[in-house]
Amino acid sequence: MRVKGISIPVLDQEKALQFYTEKLGFIKKLDIPIDEESRWLTVVSPEDQDGPQLLLEPVPLHFEPSKVYQEALMKAGIPYTQFDVDNVEEEYDRLVKLGVEFSIKPTVMGTVKFAVFNDTIGNNIQIVEEL
Amino acid sequence: MNYYETQLERLSKTTFGNQWQLDTVIGIRNYINNNYDQDLNLDLLSQIRYVSKYHLLRLFKRYYGQTPKQYLTDKRIEMAKNHLKNGMSVTETCFAVGFESLGSFSTLFKKKVAMTPQEFCKEQLSRSIESNE
Repeated sequence: MRVKGISIPVLDQEKALQFYTEKLGFIKKLDIPIDEESRWLTVVSPEDQDGPQLLLEPVPLHFEPSKVYQEALMKAGIPYTQFDVDNVEEEYDRLVKLGVEFSIKPTVMGTVKFAVFNDTIGNNIQIVEEL
Repeated sequence: MNYYETQLERLSKTTFGNQWQLDTVIGIRNYINNNYDQDLNLDLLSQIRYVSKYHLLRLFKRYYGQTPKQYLTDKRIEMAKNHLKNGMSVTETCFAVGFESLGSFSTLFKKKVAMTPQEFCKEQLSRSIESNE
């Protein structure tokens, strides 16, 4: 058994693809039509293209409890998904220049430095640098 | 302040309130990152931060979730994978990341990566051929 991927709920797959590739820098891996509304759409890290895939899953559009859960997480400021980075400050500066909005600026707590941003399709995302 | 920020503020005072402990484990981790190719052991690491080795072991595991030795092994394997991807030979890689014998390197590599260093090299080679086609 292997961990091949994780899914993230998105409100708009095309908008999500643009944000995760053009702003965050991920690379599109799979794009398979499922039905008229949905695609099996995954992205990977450019540094680990054979690594785990992030599935941009349009589940909040079809499954009301998922939408309620996603909205509650957003309102509470909770990032359900996080990505590792080498340098949080540099990534923060880069993303701010691209217009990404942060709810938590780079902050040190314990053995990590982290920041939280809005991915514009329903999620708070945390970036983390281990100290 | 939203719920997440409230929880972070609480944790920073409770779970992460001891700055001396944090400085100690962060210092040890940095030392391992910069010296993973050397002969490191718990005695040496504890002398660097003037802390008993048992206390260091406990602290490191508490904050990083693994022992210094486990962290060192992971670091060496990660660096070994980078070297092998860049075309370094298995023997050179073994010594470049601080292992003293090819046998222990190969055994640990297989345990962590699920293939031998030689198999890993072959896979990298076939991938680079595929991507060039």
